[in-house]
Amino acid sequence: MALLEVHSLTKYFGGLKANEDISFSMEEGELVGLIGPNGAGKTTLFNCIVGLHPVTSGEVLFNGNDITELKDYEVARLGLARTFQVFVASGDMTVVERVMVGCFMLTRSRSQAKARAEQILKDFGLHDLCDYILSELPVASQKRVTIAAAVGTDPKMLLMDEVAAGLNPREIEEVMAIIRHIHHDIGVTVMLIEHVMELVMNISDRVIVLDSGRKIADGKPDTIARDTNVIKAYLGERYVQEHAAELT
Amino acid sequence: METLKNALDFSDFPRVDMTIAGLIAVFLLSFPLFPHSAFAMATMIQFLMFSIYGMGWNTIGGYGGQVDLGKSQYVGIGAYTTAVMLVRWDIPFWVSMPIGVCFAVIWSFIIGYPLFRLKGHYFAIATIATCLVMKDIFEVWNFVGAARGIEISPIKYVPPDFLRLIFKEDIYYYYVILGFFFLGILYVNWFRRSRLGFQLRSIKDNEDVAKSLGINVHWAKIKTYAIATAFVSVVGSFHACYIKNIEPEDTMSLEISILIALMAMLGGAGSLWGPIIGAGVLIPCKSYLKEWLGAQAGFVGIDLIIYGGIIMLVSAFEPRGIWGIVEKVRRRKRR
Repeated sequence: MALLEVHSLTKYFGGLKANEDISFSMEEGELVGLIGPNGAGKTTLFNCIVGLHPVTSGEVLFNGNDITELKDYEVARLGLARTFQVFVASGDMTVVERVMVGCFMLTRSRSQAKARAEQILKDFGLHDLCDYILSELPVASQKRVTIAAAVGTDPKMLLMDEVAAGLNPREIEEVMAIIRHIHHDIGVTVMLIEHVMELVMNISDRVIVLDSGRKIADGKPDTIARDTNVIKAYLGERYVQEHAAELT
Repeated sequence: METLKNALDFSDFPRVDMTIAGLIAVFLLSFPLFPHSAFAMATMIQFLMFSIYGMGWNTIGGYGGQVDLGKSQYVGIGAYTTAVMLVRWDIPFWVSMPIGVCFAVIWSFIIGYPLFRLKGHYFAIATIATCLVMKDIFEVWNFVGAARGIEISPIKYVPPDFLRLIFKEDIYYYYVILGFFFLGILYVNWFRRSRLGFQLRSIKDNEDVAKSLGINVHWAKIKTYAIATAFVSVVGSFHACYIKNIEPEDTMSLEISILIALMAMLGGAGSLWGPIIGAGVLIPCKSYLKEWLGAQAGFVGIDLIIYGGIIMLVSAFEPRGIWGIVEKVRRRKRR
């Protein structure tokens, strides 16, 4: 049985078709990349899956439950966590406190939440940052901490929205190591939206491509990289016509 | 057990803080033993009352970031419950106070549900509106004495009456409210590190992120609003026995609502000591300035101008209040 099943999911914002008839499924333990040009509807798809946006039509099944109509916090409690693309931390919470918020989903006990948060930060190699105030850290560290907070809820599956955006190559390496750790060691099924191709093509088992709200391709990274529709979406019709000989 | 341990655990504050807090606690405990004027005593009781109001406000307004400007309606509910029950049915304070808390909390759930559909300034304005409506209702409600209010006549009772909280000397009132003050500190100390406290702080940072971590944001806000309400209502009941003459104007006015919020913000919203510092600065300022400058030199209203000025300065330089300044200086020193 697939862990996540999306059946012809459609989302309109007024007259704008953000997602149209998207269907796919993910098995437990998979690591799937979700790519597509800007405005393709990737983040909207995430928001619809977790219940932040109500869907116009279609159906989302997670772990056998119909989660289409559930609120976002109810979805999180079922074990489907997500991180946000633009996250600007504010306030006075320290790193360990931020991660504890996630851990508090599982327990009322402060000492248990704290022990779990510290363990996660240690595993992420962030233990030195524990007592720093999150909003005073550089963006790269903030992103890693927010991933840690999401992992704190002990999810079965994690949706990550552009974790590598705006990071330098070294920071991308660090984030990649964390994604591998979550996927391999903790055993979380992962779906990630990513524009950084060397990251997504490297670590994904499978890649799904959206363009203008529709799914245009779904397959292994190396097949996707040679897919005419995908190249058309990224580089335009003319590029495909001019380079027709090389592409086939 | 762990709850009690957490309530008594102040170990995350530096030792300097705890020394100062200890000295202040000793001062508060021994204050009535020193020679003092009746005016100083009244000011101290006001300070303790407003500290507790501020602590309550701080749970939802400080930790949760929901600026609530309607807290005085719950002062009124607490005060009226106690006063009406005592005058009409001779029900003592220690019974009517919890009943008042129940009324206030039930009312807070009823209006909290729609109120928390609003955010930011809209929420603040709506809380003002509910408060004004409540006051107007009490001003025309004959059962509770309408605009004339309700009076607890002390001659009917034999002071010191510990059950009904009717005393001749202010010293008894002082120690009763001081007890509530210490309980309030312990509660907030537990709250700020409880699951609900963490949820509220993360809601203040970013609601969508909070939801994604499994937090029912709307319900967490309503629950905390009820906690804040309970704090305010307890002191409202005390206020009824202490002042003995309750009218809508001096229990549920907008001025009190705003004063509660301002005090917590001045001292430092979202910190344990903030509301106490705020009340400690503003209450003496308010009553002494009113007394000296207002009554003696004839500058009526000068106290309002001065504390308005303080608020403007603080919010311009450090929105996290006096405690925010202390923490900023500390962090700079550490570097």
